[in-house]
Amino acid sequence: MANIGIDLGTTHSLVAAIMGGKARCMLDDDERALLPSAIRYAPDGALESVGYDALARSGEGGGHTFTSVKRFMGRAPQDVAGEAALFHYKLADDERVVRFQVGEKQITPVEISAEVLRQLAERAEECLMGKPTGAVITVPAYFDDAQRQATRDAARLADLEVLRLLNEPTAAALAYGLQQNSDGVKVAVYDLGGGTFDISILELSDGVFQVLSTAGDTHLGGDDFDQALAAVLLKQAGLADPDGLNFRRAVRAAEQAKRDLTDSEEATIAVDLGGQRVEAGIDRASFEALIGPIVERTGAACRRALSDAGLSPGEVDEVVLVGGSTRVPLVRRYVEALFGKPPHTDLDPDRVVALGAAMQADILSGTSELADDLLLLDVIPLSLGLEIMGGVVERLIPRCSTIPANASQKFTTHTDGQTSVDIHILQGERELVGDNRSLGRFKLSGLPPLPAGLPRIRVEFLVDADGLLRVSAREEFTGTEASIEVQPSYGLSEDEIEQMLEDAIDNAETDVDERLLIEARVEAEQVLTALEKALAMDDELLQSNESDVISQVATALREAITVADRKRIADLTHKLDEVSAPFAQRRIERDLTLALSGRDAEDVAGQLGM
Amino acid sequence: MTVERAQVISRKCWRCKEPTGGPVCSSCATIQPPVPGADLYGLLGLPRRYFFEVSALEKAYRALSRKVHPDRFARKPAVERRMSLQWTASINEARRVLKDPIRRARYLATGLADAPEEGGPVLEPDFLEQVFELQMMAKADPAATAAEASSLRAGVWSAVESALRAWEADAGTLDGIPSLLARLKYIDNIVSLAASADQD
Repeated sequence: MANIGIDLGTTHSLVAAIMGGKARCMLDDDERALLPSAIRYAPDGALESVGYDALARSGEGGGHTFTSVKRFMGRAPQDVAGEAALFHYKLADDERVVRFQVGEKQITPVEISAEVLRQLAERAEECLMGKPTGAVITVPAYFDDAQRQATRDAARLADLEVLRLLNEPTAAALAYGLQQNSDGVKVAVYDLGGGTFDISILELSDGVFQVLSTAGDTHLGGDDFDQALAAVLLKQAGLADPDGLNFRRAVRAAEQAKRDLTDSEEATIAVDLGGQRVEAGIDRASFEALIGPIVERTGAACRRALSDAGLSPGEVDEVVLVGGSTRVPLVRRYVEALFGKPPHTDLDPDRVVALGAAMQADILSGTSELADDLLLLDVIPLSLGLEIMGGVVERLIPRCSTIPANASQKFTTHTDGQTSVDIHILQGERELVGDNRSLGRFKLSGLPPLPAGLPRIRVEFLVDADGLLRVSAREEFTGTEASIEVQPSYGLSEDEIEQMLEDAIDNAETDVDERLLIEARVEAEQVLTALEKALAMDDELLQSNESDVISQVATALREAITVADRKRIADLTHKLDEVSAPFAQRRIERDLTLALSGRDAEDVAGQLGM
Repeated sequence: MTVERAQVISRKCWRCKEPTGGPVCSSCATIQPPVPGADLYGLLGLPRRYFFEVSALEKAYRALSRKVHPDRFARKPAVERRMSLQWTASINEARRVLKDPIRRARYLATGLADAPEEGGPVLEPDFLEQVFELQMMAKADPAATAAEASSLRAGVWSAVESALRAWEADAGTLDGIPSLLARLKYIDNIVSLAASADQD
């Protein structure tokens, strides 16, 4: 069975595979390639819907829709508090793991992302007529170790075998790269997505696509454009401190206006905010003035990537645009000015990352013809280091090192008989520990008790092809293998992920039940609403005690809906259908007779839904 | 003649017992364990010289990457995947060191890619005094400091290169290199000090 490529995006996600010798995105039942990365939970925390439905209902109460969850992946709670407030997500009280509070339940970004992945895997299974063997999942090039680990954990929860975490710009370059044959071509990939920005500089020679440098911002994207415009709308509505519902409505309206302004010079916005109708017109120039400062933030990363690659903007041969946000005309003009050449836009910026991921998935299948022609060499985006005396960071693997990369460091003990050593791992470019991202603390234990300074502990750090760090250690004086305990600073520990996997198996049945329960409730409500409407219009068609029987069953059903008993809801819905069937039949007959006197029978039957 | 061809280590494949003929067995396509502590030049199959075209290094590196990279072993047993990972990490390190002129010079002279933390060469008091004076003036006059530091650097660097040239011609040793590189480090610190003072 085939391998698949998944683009797990901030605002939307896609799945692709090589089909008929070509990378193609798989479509849903409505022929859509994109799946909004939106998940809706009921007020009690039960999963309600994924994708378009969840997104469409994001402005409704009686449940909670999560979007842009990628911004929270692998992050520390204190680092995302502001962002959570902006999105109106309630964070549970936890110092180490970001958890959203929904009713009584706490849901992590990893679990939410797993639902998106599960949905895509199901789509792939239908398209391929079988479970995919493995998946390449793309991540922003600038994702640090914790963010990558979180993505991997989400895939595990979704029961997907991850063949490789692939950097998004590299995937895009792969999708574009096959169309070029020249050697020594230098390509800049400018990837502005919904919530992340990446710039990568690559060189293609001898069939090797080598990343020379990468830089970016994992909290910069089209979401920020929407929010800038939404803030203006909310201000117009006099909502200085909007609630979550109004905020999401404003953002959706702003997003639509942003899309309209790609092709039109002007857009009109009409949205209900805080009980009043806000209608506004915005022209492209004003929109560009609003988002200009956000677009300019990408420039600093571009200049850094160029300098790390040792290139001037003029030495870049090709510029490729990736990510839906690069449709914004201002972004295109900005990139063209920055590199002094018009960017390529031949491939759909929304799909190109997924297509590249599918190609890499194929390369990793071991049976691909592509594999003989092409090899991707990626880099680590941020330096890895250790805390040394005085809270200073010693860099072990510098940023933009080609991966896999390794480094080793020797440690010793400071007191006689010491049997363990603590090591603090950091990622980032700053000198002081506090200014870098803390990845985790490693405890080397099981050292032989020796006088201080005598043990020689050699710790090996290896960054694998996914950009993930692995650590191993050995005490060389006695040859003891030291054991390592990893405690990630932020995010889920191995034990917690294991627990979630176990729970998922235990709860698989309950989850299915919950979904069926929701469906039963929805159906029951539909039947009740339709019946109420019919009774209000045509109660003269009721016979003898019919009214009593119908209302009895309807009341019982209304009660049943409030209790989590799917079978009872389904039975009563069926019963209500039965007892009201004669009444419904009479309505149809009456309408037909009325209609036949004046109109075409087919027409009426059509109106009645027959 | 100190310049020697990289030694081709003739080994037998751990799986099929045939001679391997390289990092990947030519008989059964099984990856071979990397040799611990292997010479960086030997890893990339390059002659042990200082002066060479970077493009030759890149070409050798790319050809080897295509053979040993984990992408080629994604569906192989874990033991082969681990060997592939180690191989690739080693050649990435070899390329990083040999591509950089300073690291390459240090590697040839000492067998180490990076300057030792402690116990480096002892520098002459005259030089240290010169450095100290430059350091003092970096804040007050960054432009002049930078100019003086770069002329000092050019002198040291040309001494490094002539020592390496003499060594390649079999007319000298690399004994002076560690101390020259230690000087270079001091000078480069002053250059960056002046640059940051200029920015303030």
